Amino acid sequence: MADSPAPGESLVKKEADVPANDPIASSSTSGWMLVSALLLTISIAWALYDEALGQRPWKGMQREFVARYTRYLDSIKANAGKSETEIKESPEYQQLDADEKAARAEVDPEIKQIDSEVALIQKKLDAVTDPFQNQRGRLTVINYNVETANGSAKDRYRKQAEAKMQEIVKVNLPSDDGNSTTTQEFDYRKLEAFYNELRDKKAKRLGDKANLLKTPSELAKKRDDYLKNQLIGLGPVAIEGLKTKMASYDYSILGHQISVNAVNIVDRCEVCHAGIREPVEMTPANLAPGGPGGEPDSLARAFVSHPNREVLQIHNPEKFGCASCHWGNGRATTSEMKGHGRHRFWLWPMFEKENIQAGCQQCHARDRVTQGAEQLNLGRDLFMQRGCVGCHRYEGFDRETDALAATRQQIGQLEDQIIANEKQSRAETTKSETVEDENEVKRLLASAESFRVTNSLLAARIDQLNLQAKYQMQDQKKVGPNLKDVRVKLRKEWLPVWLLDPQGFRPGTKMPTFWRFGHLAEGTLGAPHPDKDSTEQIQAIAAYLWQEGFDSKLPQQQQGDKVHGKELFETRGCLACHSIGEGDNKLGGDFAANLQRVGEKANFDYIVRWIHNPRERVAPYCPKHKRDLTPEDYAQKGLPFEFDTELHSRCPIDGAELQVQNMTVMPNFRLSEQDSRDIATYLFSLSSPPSYASADFVNDANLKQKGHELIKQYGCAGCHEIKGFEEEQRIGKELTVEGATPIERLDFALLTKHAEEGEDPLKLREENTDHKPWYNHKGFFERKVWRPSIYDEGKEKDPKDRLRMPQPYLTPEWRTALTTFLLGSVGAEGANVPSTLFYNPQDQRRQDIQNGWWVIKKYNCMGCHQLQVGHRSVVQDLPFYQTPEGKDLLPPRLTSEGARVDPAWLLRFLHDPSLSGEKSPAQAQQIAALPSASPSPQASATASPQPGAAANQAAGRLKPQPGLDRNGVRPYLSFRMPTFNFSPNELQILVRFFMAMSGQQEPYIKEPMKPLTATETATAREMFTSGTPCLKCHITGDPAHDAKAIAPNFLLASERLKPDWTFRWLLDPSQISPGTAMPSGLFRKEGDRWVVNLPQPPASAVAYHDDHARLLVRYMFLLTPDEQRRLLAAGPATTAAPTAATTQHHARAKRKRSNHARNRQRAALGRYAAAALR
Amino acid sequence: MRRFINKWTILVVALVIVGLWAINVKDWHQLWIISSAPDNIPIVAMLFLVPIFTWMGVRQAVRNDQLIEQLEADPKLAKTHHRKVEPWRPGWARELHVWPYLVRIEFLATVIVTVVLFVWSITLNAPLEEPANPNLTMNPSKAPWYFLGLQEMLVYFDPWIAGVVMPSIIMVGLMVFPYVDSNPLGNGYYTLRQRRFALWMFGAGFLMWIVLIVIGTFIRGPGWIWFWPGQTWDHNAVVFDKNVDLHDMIAQKFGLHFLAVNPAKFIFGFIVVSGFYLVGALFFHWLMTVDFKKIRRPRSLKLDELHRSLFPKNAFEQKLLSRTSLLQYLTFQFFAVSVLLALPVKLILRLALTIKYVWVTPWFNI
Repeated sequence: MADSPAPGESLVKKEADVPANDPIASSSTSGWMLVSALLLTISIAWALYDEALGQRPWKGMQREFVARYTRYLDSIKANAGKSETEIKESPEYQQLDADEKAARAEVDPEIKQIDSEVALIQKKLDAVTDPFQNQRGRLTVINYNVETANGSAKDRYRKQAEAKMQEIVKVNLPSDDGNSTTTQEFDYRKLEAFYNELRDKKAKRLGDKANLLKTPSELAKKRDDYLKNQLIGLGPVAIEGLKTKMASYDYSILGHQISVNAVNIVDRCEVCHAGIREPVEMTPANLAPGGPGGEPDSLARAFVSHPNREVLQIHNPEKFGCASCHWGNGRATTSEMKGHGRHRFWLWPMFEKENIQAGCQQCHARDRVTQGAEQLNLGRDLFMQRGCVGCHRYEGFDRETDALAATRQQIGQLEDQIIANEKQSRAETTKSETVEDENEVKRLLASAESFRVTNSLLAARIDQLNLQAKYQMQDQKKVGPNLKDVRVKLRKEWLPVWLLDPQGFRPGTKMPTFWRFGHLAEGTLGAPHPDKDSTEQIQAIAAYLWQEGFDSKLPQQQQGDKVHGKELFETRGCLACHSIGEGDNKLGGDFAANLQRVGEKANFDYIVRWIHNPRERVAPYCPKHKRDLTPEDYAQKGLPFEFDTELHSRCPIDGAELQVQNMTVMPNFRLSEQDSRDIATYLFSLSSPPSYASADFVNDANLKQKGHELIKQYGCAGCHEIKGFEEEQRIGKELTVEGATPIERLDFALLTKHAEEGEDPLKLREENTDHKPWYNHKGFFERKVWRPSIYDEGKEKDPKDRLRMPQPYLTPEWRTALTTFLLGSVGAEGANVPSTLFYNPQDQRRQDIQNGWWVIKKYNCMGCHQLQVGHRSVVQDLPFYQTPEGKDLLPPRLTSEGARVDPAWLLRFLHDPSLSGEKSPAQAQQIAALPSASPSPQASATASPQPGAAANQAAGRLKPQPGLDRNGVRPYLSFRMPTFNFSPNELQILVRFFMAMSGQQEPYIKEPMKPLTATETATAREMFTSGTPCLKCHITGDPAHDAKAIAPNFLLASERLKPDWTFRWLLDPSQISPGTAMPSGLFRKEGDRWVVNLPQPPASAVAYHDDHARLLVRYMFLLTPDEQRRLLAAGPATTAAPTAATTQHHARAKRKRSNHARNRQRAALGRYAAAALR
Repeated sequence: MRRFINKWTILVVALVIVGLWAINVKDWHQLWIISSAPDNIPIVAMLFLVPIFTWMGVRQAVRNDQLIEQLEADPKLAKTHHRKVEPWRPGWARELHVWPYLVRIEFLATVIVTVVLFVWSITLNAPLEEPANPNLTMNPSKAPWYFLGLQEMLVYFDPWIAGVVMPSIIMVGLMVFPYVDSNPLGNGYYTLRQRRFALWMFGAGFLMWIVLIVIGTFIRGPGWIWFWPGQTWDHNAVVFDKNVDLHDMIAQKFGLHFLAVNPAKFIFGFIVVSGFYLVGALFFHWLMTVDFKKIRRPRSLKLDELHRSLFPKNAFEQKLLSRTSLLQYLTFQFFAVSVLLALPVKLILRLALTIKYVWVTPWFNI
């Protein structure tokens, strides 16, 4: 224990006294100090680095971009502005070219061989074609006579026809070496066979040729790609300019930020994606780290040009930014993850590449078709056509239903008001009788009267609305067939087979698999376990449908000619929507059912009736009384049991508009009964009906109630018409803004954890081995549409609460398309774009196009027609139409239809494509029944004299068809433009659509043609017949002549065409419709007028000093039938004398019915043309 | 018994508990996600730092107490020897100056803390999230970590009490405590002996707060459901808790149905709460004055014997109490019972006995 120190002792001295082991005073902290000071220095350095670069990774990217881009610019500088010839001289190009030439040389001998063979075949074909077509033409005339003659004349003509068939035709066939000719003799059948054989041979050899040319063509493409890559659009000066720009590159965010103040868009995507809008087009290889052409890395892929510059032009980034379309976090620059919005809190994660078009849907939600977004369009098609819309509401997708509901509601309100007014009026009248004051009496009576007047106005308005309701009802269609017809259409044993596994019976069908019935869908996580009573459920549903189906007798049908049926099926246009064959042999479109196995399930009589007229209902449905009307309902009012869209569309009880058609989009092909039978026979010949297990339970009345409940639960009525469910509401969730549903509200059920950890029970992607999490909208939608049952798997639920969504048939491509569609369906609230930028066209033209697509897509017009440049119709890809001859037989391209035709005519044509002028069977009958009219042969052949369908059916006949077997404009095609029964609403939409698509905005006012002088007529006539005689190809209405014709009748021109378009068409048809058979170069320019392009023009033409083409247009538009006959007589192409006698005969008959001369011509034309083809 | 309670047995028991828990953890992945979230880093750190610093403080306090004992034994020494960190030894300086001995250590600490903050802020960015979705509340929707205790309190009290009254009482209480403290000792150095009661009170309150935060962070999942750490936070998890008001419970159990309606239930609640205050105050009084070392098993059940064996008085604490004015005493009792006791009691009532409120009034519920 030390003494206390004396006061005043110095500190230093004290310190010296103390032993060194005082833990505080003696220990040094300098080591600690040094280490922590170092650490502090390091961390400050780190912080500075982080501030400058770590948090700004884009700086490095920008530097890298500048380096790589400059290098690329250097590499292309040599070729900048170089002409094509210069590049072609380069050794690289020469090498590629040599490769291509070598490959071509290799196959050359064979090609030559084929070419010579084809040439020989063509020679023979040329020799045969003419005699064959002559014979065929004559035969069709005789056949026509057979059909129209009566009694013994019929037999006489038959003999004549047989004689014609037997007639020996001499043909000068070139021999196989092609130098000499031998004369061979054929009868008609042999001639036809030979002709067909030659054509087949030719097609086959041409196919071989195409196969051989495959390798050379690929090499040629490679060479041309090289050329395209090397051909730089910019000159050396521009490239130098770009390099200078790179030298003083702005290494900042602000210099590359897109900022649209008005709509609060700030996107910094281009800070990293620096090359996206550079004028030079760059591929990843161009910007590879090892110099242009090397192996690209991820940076190179980030720097490339935008892959779709056209889209960028329409959607200028300076106005829209980037994240508007692509989503992602446009402002984030610190990491790829953040910038792309792949962050669990970011509401708009960037769309995956395969779903990129989801971005289009945000703003183009009102479009049915968005140009350039094919995948999205496919998604919309699927949503509509595969029946999603049956259960799920989607705003804008049920235009007809919504409009009809609104109209009906309006009618109801007006009716209530009328009743109230009446009551009031009566009350006031009664009151006026008791009141004594005269003025008061006057006032009351006036008021009562005003109520009655109001009522009459209201009644007029109701009439108007009723008409609208009628049209809207006419436009309403269902995805699936009418199940009220089950009893008359199907075999009852087949129902449970179908309900259990529709895909098993008909792979690819629209009918989804109801997995709760126990059919095992492959590839599911476990098997979705069936309901305990699934067999009973199927039976109950079948029983309900059976017992609630129409029980009516259909006319019995004889078997027809299946060979003819096959031909009809393949050529009339059925394959545009339907397909036939299974697996690799499948042929035709996906729009409607595959008909391979229709014979296994259906009733022949029903199918014949259906083919004959699919819209024909067994009984009309009255939405007001909510039941199908019976003949008794009509009988009570003393009316025949008759219903159609034109005259008998109202309820006999109270005049409400009825559903008088089947709600199918399938149109009426105006086939004769025999043809319908033939087609049905063909379809039934494709399969033989197996024996199914007996299904007597369908008559078990005890099952019906359960069936009713189940149909309600599964929502069958979304797609089908079912008795008792006509007004059924949709059972599914509305999907209009489904893509914006918060992720927490998407029911991943027991799979949440799987999704978060990237475990995929469905193994949707084979290559996904990195366990990418799918707890996002895309992951949910993909799996939901693919295997809905997985979100029910393992849940303990009451059967009533189990998931109801059945499993639709989808290909992986369809799945992606649907997912894209749903991802983009976010509504205004969920969009990453301000709604002011939504596509909401104000101009009439764009609106017309938007509206038109709904109708076009609804009826699958694209199955037959090409509506846009670059689009391919279904029939175009059928094997029958791959040869040049075949291509002439395709339905017309409609790419410039609006510019071509007169809208008024188009409206009439769409209403009645047969152009027969007949309206409906009922009207035809009424006309036929007029005492003054002598029935035309056509009318007597088709329109049965018994009134009413019931009578027809009793007599075993189908309802007659208006415009039977006629094709209005192009009778030479075996394709037939069917009658769609468009309502006036839809007709108008369609016409406006075609006009808008061709930019024909102004209302079309037809200008009168200046009449021709006699000289002009003579000149034009001479021009018509000289050089390329027009009538060689254009039909005239004369069957003998028309046998070879492949172009429309000139008599139609004045009604149908627009003069301006016709003029342009004459000058250069191939420009308007590439590949048309109409020859180009008929006229050449001389000064400022067009003259016929002939080596030796006719003298009159030389003398004519105005525009020749304009003269011809006028001539065409003023053409009369007489003039046409004169032309025929004068023309060298004429092969048969005009059958003026028959024409006049029918014309006379027709004239009595209608004074309209043109109607008469058109009708006659159609009839003849149809006969000619038979 | 005492000889078994040493650091080794504590360590073994702790390891066994942690081991048993670890075996039962089903979802390490989620546990990692929760504990590695930038948001939760302070709490994870707290799990380790609080025990470490507590231990350091206690160690120093124990040493100081030894020194105090030493100095008290030698009053002469006490007058001159003020070094309290290490007991003075011969040869050492009797006094050390702030400069450089204290300042250099403080400076070192500053540098180290700066480094830690730098590294922390570089490696972990501020846990700010992307724009909120106005259509959707997050689930679970959690406050920042430092407010989680408050949020957790909402489970046990009605929002008025948990959100307004309790926080106010806590804050006012913290402000008031210096004024109700009549103990002049223990300022500026760690000691257990001289501030036993104050330390226990503060420690308990602090621990309670930490526990609430830990519960809020690691245990409350979607729907604010109780998930043990390592259990998967399942959005579809279903629990069924039926919490009943105390008066209803009593009314049900004993058929006293009049208790379920006003004014009986008001009066009942008032009595229960008043009773709680009374018992709580007695409890704190006992804590204030008891000498734990002298507690022994009573030899008989006679009242004075019971009193002597269970409530032995500590002379030092008695002395402190006598220095305390009535106002100071009552103020302290009010805050102590209202917060320090009420919170854990309510927590147990709710979690273990499913009692919702004990006193239901039209204005507030407790």
